[in-house]
Amino acid sequence: MGVGGASNLTEQVAAIIDRYPGGVKMVDSIEFLVAWARANSMWPLIYGTACCAMEMMAAGSSRHDWARFGVEVARATPRQADLIVLAGTIVEKMGKNLITLYEQMPAPKYVIAMGSCAISGGPFYYDAYSVIKGGDRLIPVDVYVPGCPPRPEALLYGIMELQEKIKKEGRRNPWKIGDILTTPFIDTHTKAKKDWVILEQKKDQEQQAARKQFKLDNPDFKPAKAVRLKKEKFEAIKPETREPQGISNLVLLQKIQLQFPKISVSPQEDILDLTVPRNNYTDLIQFLKQNDELGLDLLLQLSAIDWKDHFDILVHLLSTRDGHKLFLRCRVDKEDPEIDTISNIFRGAEWHEREVYDLFGIRFRNHPDMRRIFLNKDFPGHPLRKDFEDPERVIKRPY
Amino acid sequence: MNLEPVNNFNPDEGGIPEGFSRTSSATKSSEEYFLNMGPQHPSTHGVLRLVLRLDGESVLGVVPHLGYVHRGLEKVAENQTYLQNIHLTDRLDYLSSHINNLGYCMAMEQALDIGIPERGEYIRVMICELQRIQSHLLWWGVSGMDLGAITTFLYGFKERELITDIFEELCGARLTMNFFRPGGSFADVTDGFIPRIKQVIEIMHKALDEYNTLLTGNIIFQERTKNIGILSKETALSYGCSGAVLRASGVSYDVRKNDPYSIYDRFEFDVPIGSIGDCFDRYCLKIEEMAQSVRILEQAVQTFPEGPYRSQQKAVYKLPKGSYYSQVETARGLLGTYIVAEGGPKPYRVKFRSPSFSNLNILNELAVGHKLADIVTILATLDFVVPDLDR
Repeated sequence: MGVGGASNLTEQVAAIIDRYPGGVKMVDSIEFLVAWARANSMWPLIYGTACCAMEMMAAGSSRHDWARFGVEVARATPRQADLIVLAGTIVEKMGKNLITLYEQMPAPKYVIAMGSCAISGGPFYYDAYSVIKGGDRLIPVDVYVPGCPPRPEALLYGIMELQEKIKKEGRRNPWKIGDILTTPFIDTHTKAKKDWVILEQKKDQEQQAARKQFKLDNPDFKPAKAVRLKKEKFEAIKPETREPQGISNLVLLQKIQLQFPKISVSPQEDILDLTVPRNNYTDLIQFLKQNDELGLDLLLQLSAIDWKDHFDILVHLLSTRDGHKLFLRCRVDKEDPEIDTISNIFRGAEWHEREVYDLFGIRFRNHPDMRRIFLNKDFPGHPLRKDFEDPERVIKRPY
Repeated sequence: MNLEPVNNFNPDEGGIPEGFSRTSSATKSSEEYFLNMGPQHPSTHGVLRLVLRLDGESVLGVVPHLGYVHRGLEKVAENQTYLQNIHLTDRLDYLSSHINNLGYCMAMEQALDIGIPERGEYIRVMICELQRIQSHLLWWGVSGMDLGAITTFLYGFKERELITDIFEELCGARLTMNFFRPGGSFADVTDGFIPRIKQVIEIMHKALDEYNTLLTGNIIFQERTKNIGILSKETALSYGCSGAVLRASGVSYDVRKNDPYSIYDRFEFDVPIGSIGDCFDRYCLKIEEMAQSVRILEQAVQTFPEGPYRSQQKAVYKLPKGSYYSQVETARGLLGTYIVAEGGPKPYRVKFRSPSFSNLNILNELAVGHKLADIVTILATLDFVVPDLDR
């Protein structure tokens, strides 16, 4: 490739000029000029998935202002951008979109991996079943900016490093596109570890030599005694008891048991955990919603617990008028888990039930839209089950 | 890892995208089409994907697709100790990370009967209110930018950085704090804490007036937000909305007032509520919430006590068997933390009831009947954070 990846024509012209005295110098100067101009007018793509995007925004806003470094016009479309800052976690579902975005950017294009998640998966390296462990498994990365999240100054430093890299480009060191997807995962860690060991050994030797020299120079030297700082001690404090809001649990239980006598209570005092038989489940929730006296009008959440031999469906209700809460549990068998939907009573339950279906594999009868909500359609298994295992995706925590 | 696209939707074969029912509410003569918006779109505030059913420019239906940052936080939490999990709550709704920490710590305190000294409670309340202002400032700047006013972005971030400086001095982090612990916080506040807050209060008084002049009074902004995305009280309740979205529809429910935690019952503040629940109501409510947070800060600064900042600490916490629930009011709404413990150092199950999840659910109800550009307005005032949605 010629000047920064241009066409054959420029290469031919450069070859002609090269033949004349001083021609090489001239082409090199033009190349330097092009690279310099390119480095100082980066157009980043507005791409942010998680927390790091906030720091990227901060880097672009009033105080830090990345326009000072030529990173000025943040673009919403990849077709106009030449820099993509991978700000935030990349999950499997977003992975193919990220590759599309990268392919749509015009060459030459550059990638900065910002933050631990984009570098290696970060806090979600272990146990997470959907996180891609590093952006460089999908697209080639030029500069890594560590941090969780990195400060805006760190991102600015990363941009300056990238600019230095771009300025060195030319026909002897052309911009190259990485081989997407076919490139195996590059293990930079092992080499870095070996280098580190050698460095440490060298440092130890130097220090030992310095110590010996010091002893020879100062034979009567006595070091000062170290004083241990006292650890701060704090007293245990009894918490203030606060009156629970609204209707008390006992009254709630009595009123419900008048209608549904077969309901049992979990042994816990401050939160009322009612265990509901399955045939009363929808009737009870219908009753609770319609009963004005109890006033339980807001569905907090619907979720599930995997107890290894059976599931529990959790329904949490709240009264916005009085402030009391009611927690229900309903047992679902492990074999062929299925239960009636309550999305016709509380419409907000629709998404909660889809989430339970996605993560636990419990189906809801008569649900209007029973699809997975978070994961891809072809994701094997239901990850929040205790027996979920997927060695292809999950790296188990070694400690 | 399979990166091939799954189940391509082919309109020529008479197919319709996932989530839509075949029958449409529009008349038969209309020319319907589907439009994909996101996951890479600047006004979805992250990676949210919407599929719109349109007739010309009018919206007939919206189907949000989630999971583009689903990180499996609840699964990760099952394999870490209780203290290690505090940092995960930062990454739920990163704009109110202090308040998320508080919610998780409160659930642990409930289980272990841990009390907090006076000074610790004051620190908690003040930091949470600062966090609320900080989050609202970012929302204000970005939602202005969504509607075409780039100036608000620069103004909002100017004051936001002042509050970020306070947090940085406290715990070294600007965004993901990991500051609160069961029994208080991991460190005492610095000497500069109170003077800095006084400075923020002074600046915020002027700044809020400035914001109202700059954006609230702007006639173009009002035209674009008034009577757009009206949410009725009944719909808001049946979808389980919370926070400003619920209050704008006329339901006065704020956890700080209706189910007070920490020492919120000692401070005087109002819970603003809206009248009709349109985008402008939701906007004004958030601006008013900032003023109320400043009011709480003013009271707390005057009575900030001396003494220990935390109670007894432990290296490993083991929660007794049972289930524990706590709820806090984040900048977005009601965050519930539900912990199921089996006695060991790790939780058996952690469930976060994230406010954005329920708040976004109403998008279809709000958007139908409006124009395509109004979806951006509605998204801006719903004020969700995508990792909070996906967890």
